[in-house]
Amino acid sequence: MGKFIVIGERIHCISPVIKKAMEEKDPAPILKRAEEQLAAGATYLDVNIGPAEKNGEDLMKWAVTLLQENFDNVPLCLDTANRKAIEAGISVYNRSKGKPIVNSADAGDRIENIDLAAANDAIAIALCAKTGIPSDNDERMAYCQEMLERGIGLGMEAEDLWFDPLFLVIKGMQDKQLDVLGFIKDLSDMGLNSTGGLSNVSNMTPKHIRPILDSTTVAMAMYCGLTSAIANPCDVRLMETIKSADIIKNNSLYADSFLEI
Amino acid sequence: MALKGLDIFKLTPKTNCKECGNPTCMAFSMKVAQGAVGIEKCPYMSEEAKATLNEANAPAMKTLKFGAGETEKTLGGETVLFRHDKTFVSQSVFGVNVCAGCFDERIAEVEKVSYDRIGEHMYTEALNLKFSGDKAAYLELVKKAMGHGRALILECTCVETAAAALEICAAEKPILNGATPENYKEMTELAQKNGVLLGISAGDLDALYDTAAAVEALGYKDLVLDVTGATAKDTYANAIQVRRAALKDKDRTFGYPSIVNVAKVAAGDATMQTALASMFVLKYGSIILMDSMTYAQALPLFGLRQNIFTDPQKPMKVEPGIYALNGADENSPCVTTVDFALTYFIVSGELERSGVPCNLIISDAGGYSVLTAWAAGKFSAGTIAKSFKELDIEGKIKNRTLIIPGKAAVLKGELEEQLPGWTIVVAPNEATGLVKFMKDYK
Amino acid sequence: MAFKRVPQKFTATVNEVTIGTGDKAITLGGENVLPLYSFDAPITNKARVGVQITDAGYDKTVPALAAYYAGAETIADIAKKASEMPGADFVVLSLEGADPNGEDKSVEECVALAKEVAAAIDCPLAIQGSKNVEKDAVLFDKLAEALQGKNVLMVSCKTENYKTVSASAAIAYSQKISAESAVDINLAKQLNVLISQMGVKAESYVMNVGAAAAGYGFEYVASTLDRVRGAALTQDDAMLQMPIITPVCDEAWSVKESIVSEEDLPEWGARETRGVQMEVATAAACLAGGSNAVILRHPESVKTIAALIADLT
Repeated sequence: MGKFIVIGERIHCISPVIKKAMEEKDPAPILKRAEEQLAAGATYLDVNIGPAEKNGEDLMKWAVTLLQENFDNVPLCLDTANRKAIEAGISVYNRSKGKPIVNSADAGDRIENIDLAAANDAIAIALCAKTGIPSDNDERMAYCQEMLERGIGLGMEAEDLWFDPLFLVIKGMQDKQLDVLGFIKDLSDMGLNSTGGLSNVSNMTPKHIRPILDSTTVAMAMYCGLTSAIANPCDVRLMETIKSADIIKNNSLYADSFLEI
Repeated sequence: MALKGLDIFKLTPKTNCKECGNPTCMAFSMKVAQGAVGIEKCPYMSEEAKATLNEANAPAMKTLKFGAGETEKTLGGETVLFRHDKTFVSQSVFGVNVCAGCFDERIAEVEKVSYDRIGEHMYTEALNLKFSGDKAAYLELVKKAMGHGRALILECTCVETAAAALEICAAEKPILNGATPENYKEMTELAQKNGVLLGISAGDLDALYDTAAAVEALGYKDLVLDVTGATAKDTYANAIQVRRAALKDKDRTFGYPSIVNVAKVAAGDATMQTALASMFVLKYGSIILMDSMTYAQALPLFGLRQNIFTDPQKPMKVEPGIYALNGADENSPCVTTVDFALTYFIVSGELERSGVPCNLIISDAGGYSVLTAWAAGKFSAGTIAKSFKELDIEGKIKNRTLIIPGKAAVLKGELEEQLPGWTIVVAPNEATGLVKFMKDYK
Repeated sequence: MAFKRVPQKFTATVNEVTIGTGDKAITLGGENVLPLYSFDAPITNKARVGVQITDAGYDKTVPALAAYYAGAETIADIAKKASEMPGADFVVLSLEGADPNGEDKSVEECVALAKEVAAAIDCPLAIQGSKNVEKDAVLFDKLAEALQGKNVLMVSCKTENYKTVSASAAIAYSQKISAESAVDINLAKQLNVLISQMGVKAESYVMNVGAAAAGYGFEYVASTLDRVRGAALTQDDAMLQMPIITPVCDEAWSVKESIVSEEDLPEWGARETRGVQMEVATAAACLAGGSNAVILRHPESVKTIAALIADLT
């Protein structure tokens, strides 16, 4: 097994600083967040430019080029509802450090993002949902199957579909947490890769609680076979947990200083 | 090829009945492909589908035997590419090339090398009989080669000669290494009739693959692949790609043991043959053929093979006993350490380098290193004293000095109690200090 | 159905480390495939062969060594001859005589010797220390200072002295260093981490992950090498991506097979032949495991292993 892949989530237009930087094409705030996340141990960086209906293509190209030029072709996860913007981003993307990730497809309106990934030899995050939250794991699996068949039918390798079980918020959906973990185990038994927005779990919980819930969730999910997460790498506790779980899973070799690297 | 989830899915009824315990047929199929569940969990699989799957789930590499009685050797059956993943199971077999003209000279050299090392008898186990175009001479060679206590390989692409040779030696279960893209039909028939392994060779990997597939299609699967190429580079590439295709990519057509004849790519250069043979011990030579196997070549190669094919979980042990070093006699001092082979070799090596005569006494310590054995109670004053009795040290040796490992210095006091009359001397912590220590001690 | 090749070409690569200067400088590492798997992707820098001489010259009990170095009186003469040995890529000066438990040659004497050697050769130089960690800390410091600009490889620092060797040889004097661990993959990684935390750049150090002669616990060496290279390539573990250097000769020429005289064991044949075969078999096995450089002594071994590397790369 390879090491757990952290997709750094902090370049997101929901953040006022990033939103402003994207509007003004001001590199500094974006580069700063990229640097922090990479230093903290992110492998991929998520680039969320929002819906970006107007200037999406131009903006995504700018962001991809900016980040890859400054950080040795860092691999990126292109995150927007604007399909053309994703394609534009891929057109300038350098794959030497890893394929681009299309964030995201689902079994509903966004299923064509699988076609987009297939056509561009990219990885697709495949959300096991159609409209709203799946009611149970059978439903999740049905979506998974639909997307898997579609991707393979278009010539993708199964490993390039990263299935997202859809992490659920504890405050409100506490009784569904084990379902999600069970589904991750199913994906893992099928030999599939998985990812997801980890911090959904701790949404709306007090700030000092979030790192604890997130890191416990990631440890349990990694035991079930989760291979990646979209998360905040600057959360020290979370990263220490991921590194430790990687050691225990024999995904990376132990050295006394393993937490420092 | 191993079946992928999607291939298995095509064989399912696609009804998502959930009777197998999975929500969908696809989920079930993916799990079968991963080996997480068995195909029998689906009650609706056709017999044909099950047969296809069972075939696909057969071992990735066949286990085959050649030779008969004492010369019998097991080949193949490997499941991993790296020994830290799991033990390599079938030791590489070493063989020497012989021909009608050089047999007497080479067999004399081969027979010189015979010794024991850590419980294993070391000798060249196989002879590769090379055909040079003269049938009568070849049959003479076959007759000569029998009865030397070594398994035989018939390297002969001439069908008629091979048939005659097998009439002579089929009972010895040789390998018939003679199938090529041109003659494989006849050779397969011959191997099948005589119940011997069939070796296949071809110009390149693609031709080798096609020929192996063609022989399989004829219904014969007791095969060995001669991966020797035109150059050392080709041969190395072939050996690795064949084994990797079988074990990693589950391509069963290459799931057979290999023959590597290093003499063909390093003719006349015995040292280069040693170097190549060494690499093929690590990288997937099931049978390694050379033009010679002198003591000088055998010592490192057999030792390396013994190392590489050990079970990583089971340490190698040397026999307890008295090992007289540097011409030691009953008046020489005694040194003791554990029976872990690596410790024994390091300690005995350093003691030999010191040139000081001494008796190295090895007691049964479970095959652990000094500290581990000590912590486990397997290398204590009690166990050493017991082994002194069992080995009758006091009857055999007059000297009453015992040198113990520095790491077991704590045993000094207890040993003085348990072995009255003995002077216990503590050696340095590390074996590297032994040379100086022994010289100074003397 | 035709044979389907599935090459293992990794996105991770082994670091490149250059030693020496000018035309004859050599670069170790750089591959993104398993050892010598040139059929998966081209290997940019072939493995290299170092020829070892010592502060006492060479082993005069080995006839071919005596014959090869005949006429070489000074250490400089010997070094020059070593550099001219067919197949040699670099010269390795082993300062075994500096060991405080042995001859205890002074640091000044060793530095003077090393300067003579460096001046006599035009190929890269590596220096093996006394293997005493305190002495080597001082020795490498003074050697690095005296040989500034030569881009010398200091073999090796260990957990006990990596701080001084890193700060001095690698950083202050811009030489290259080697991190030595004894067949312990976790320690190998840890030492690399510690050296990188000292500020030594990836292009400035290699590692020696331990060695053993064939037959002498080589399974530990083989698995250590396999796992180091596996981690470097399949797990993209940056702390195990250093090129590997293996001083094969120190092991190969100190086991019974290479020492016992023909008089003592006549059936074994000439001692020298045994030593060469042991050196060659061990070196080949190390190369198959991923060594980017091996250190050898005997001309026949050097010639054979250089030819082997050329054949397989």
